[in-house]
Amino acid sequence: MNTAAKIQQVDFRYANGDTGALEGLDLEIKCGECILLCGSSGCGKTTVTRLLNGLIPHYYEGELTGSVTVFDRDIRSTPIEDLAGTVGSVFQNPRSQFFCVDTTAEIAFGCENMGMPEEEILSRIDKTVKDMHIEKLLGRSIFNLSGGEKQKIACAGVSAMMPELIVLDEPTSNLDLDAIDELRDIISDWRSQGKTIVIAEHRLGWLKGLCDRIIFMENGRIVREYTGEEFFSLSTQALNDMGLRALHTDTNYLETTAGCSAIKPFNNKEVITLEDFCFSYGKQTALNIDRLELPSGGVIAVVGHNGAGKSTFTRCLCGLQKGFRGKVLIGGKKLRPRDMMKLSYMVMQDVNHQLFAETVTEEVLLGTESDDEKPALELLERLNIAEYKERHPMSLSGGQKQRTAIASALLAGKKLLVFDEPTSGLDFRSMECTAELLRSLENDVTVLIVTHDMELIDRCCTHVLHIENGNIT
Amino acid sequence: MAGLFTADVENRGLVLDPRTKLAVMITLVIFALGSTGSGITAVRWMTIVVSLLPMLLLVSARKYRKAAIFTAVYALMKASELLLVPKMTGPALSIIGMCCMIFVRLCPGLIMGSYMLSTTTVSEFIAAMHRMHVPQQITIPLSVMFRFFPTVLEEFSDINTAMKMRDIRLGGRNAGKFIEYRLVPLMVCSVNIGNELSAAALTRGLGTKVRRTNICRIGFHTADIAVLLLTAAPYILLILGMIGVVK
Repeated sequence: MNTAAKIQQVDFRYANGDTGALEGLDLEIKCGECILLCGSSGCGKTTVTRLLNGLIPHYYEGELTGSVTVFDRDIRSTPIEDLAGTVGSVFQNPRSQFFCVDTTAEIAFGCENMGMPEEEILSRIDKTVKDMHIEKLLGRSIFNLSGGEKQKIACAGVSAMMPELIVLDEPTSNLDLDAIDELRDIISDWRSQGKTIVIAEHRLGWLKGLCDRIIFMENGRIVREYTGEEFFSLSTQALNDMGLRALHTDTNYLETTAGCSAIKPFNNKEVITLEDFCFSYGKQTALNIDRLELPSGGVIAVVGHNGAGKSTFTRCLCGLQKGFRGKVLIGGKKLRPRDMMKLSYMVMQDVNHQLFAETVTEEVLLGTESDDEKPALELLERLNIAEYKERHPMSLSGGQKQRTAIASALLAGKKLLVFDEPTSGLDFRSMECTAELLRSLENDVTVLIVTHDMELIDRCCTHVLHIENGNIT
Repeated sequence: MAGLFTADVENRGLVLDPRTKLAVMITLVIFALGSTGSGITAVRWMTIVVSLLPMLLLVSARKYRKAAIFTAVYALMKASELLLVPKMTGPALSIIGMCCMIFVRLCPGLIMGSYMLSTTTVSEFIAAMHRMHVPQQITIPLSVMFRFFPTVLEEFSDINTAMKMRDIRLGGRNAGKFIEYRLVPLMVCSVNIGNELSAAALTRGLGTKVRRTNICRIGFHTADIAVLLLTAAPYILLILGMIGVVK
């Protein structure tokens, strides 16, 4: 078998950070292999994908020693644009890998850049679209696609360039289970076409039967290699000990009956009653719930398939949805959306959107009426971020930012916290930390977590609220 | 979203060649804004006709609300300029006259700009620039820039939502820092997205020395010819006026 890529004795350190560095890495990838790179965050798996597509050393700066060859071309002396037809890349965030507003142009983009003749491009688009069964997605506006559909278009754009090697960097971070299944089909097609595939991932279960070789990394080194068979028969405990996510969970909470049901013993009998939770976008009904009781102080997972109305539900609950007229009863008091906005806080997937101040302390005090720092410091202590109180929130790690956002909401007296996919793209240890944190909020405030992460639900939720088609029946 | 170069390809009505739109724009600047040939009656009337063209184009692009609002405002201003202003004296004349004049001159160009940006896709834009022999060194950075705007707008609305929930608003306790609070997260997010976008573009071969091709089909059709003929009218009248055929 021929060699697709060869990494020899590579040391690499990013110019502006410590995480993700590589030390003495050796890896040979054969043509037609499908390789999974795994390990906890910062272990260097993304760095390896960047070596293969040339983003290192051509885009991300740092010190690189050792040799990297991709199809016998030295990566240093090959301009990154010239690798485009040989190595294709799919990234984590569908929002930042598109150039065009319509899907057809987007699929053509790479081929256009390579200066292919028009007829050739059109016939390639045709073939790609047929192979991937995405006829329905042609000629659509990118802004109207779901995350899964966007990721499919990204794959189609790569496919049309017909590269020999395809690298995927956490491609499922923003996808739900159905979309992951579809991505799996695409990769399995590529595999049968004899393409070489390298995937760096946290979520592992979906790759069973797809990967020939699994490479487990720690601190920039390869610790162990597994065959597919060996790896996918590891126990959850063994994986967790390695800092990896479980392959599957015992319960699939999407199979629970619609509505709100307890999954752990929970004593608080108080409830929050929602009434007239109905909302439609134009003629399309997105939400249709007459009455729903949520346990006050519970940690509630909000589950449902993509487009089931989960985010409309949480937006309505937080009073963010314009034109929504439902009401909420808490302790006999009737609250309108405007009052709900005062009582609730949503922690977004991208926490960067909601940190404004110059220091963590200032950030936490921002929404409050007083300048008294004492309760703020106590709260920071409780959330384990007191040592960073003078740091700029933007300089913190993802998990610390999340804690800062939570602290600011708690201090502002919010009674309802909503989390949007708090663990997407997190490794096992970070997920466990988040779970612990969310569990510690139990009884204090009511927590709603919109998530696809069954492991997280297992660990911290007291209830599951299953919404389908905007309904709970 | 009504942003820059984010035409909704699924529902855009009549599609004109970007070059046609550019020709209308230039004509509006010369005649409506620059008042070229306002000494000739025929040109003056023709300018009004051409100034109404952007509204018509908005209708053709199914942007009815925008078109209705613009038409009403423009008609009001133009009517008062023609009928009301001549009867006025003193400060009223200076203020109202000035408002009418500025608006009547600027408005058609602005509407045309809004129409151009909201109905042209980035690929059409690049294709048109390419046909007009504008070098790739100019079109590629421009197209990346245009791609970037709608994303920043999206970020901005997320930040706004977050600020609402934190009750940070103008007139609140931290009013003085209102702008800073908004800009810091916006910049951090924009830089992140910009970086990721550039990385993605590089891996897909943007910037190779090969001449880029474009599958986007642009070209002049019947509608383009009709619009172009109408656009040519004021120039022809201007020339005829200058040689004394029309008044």
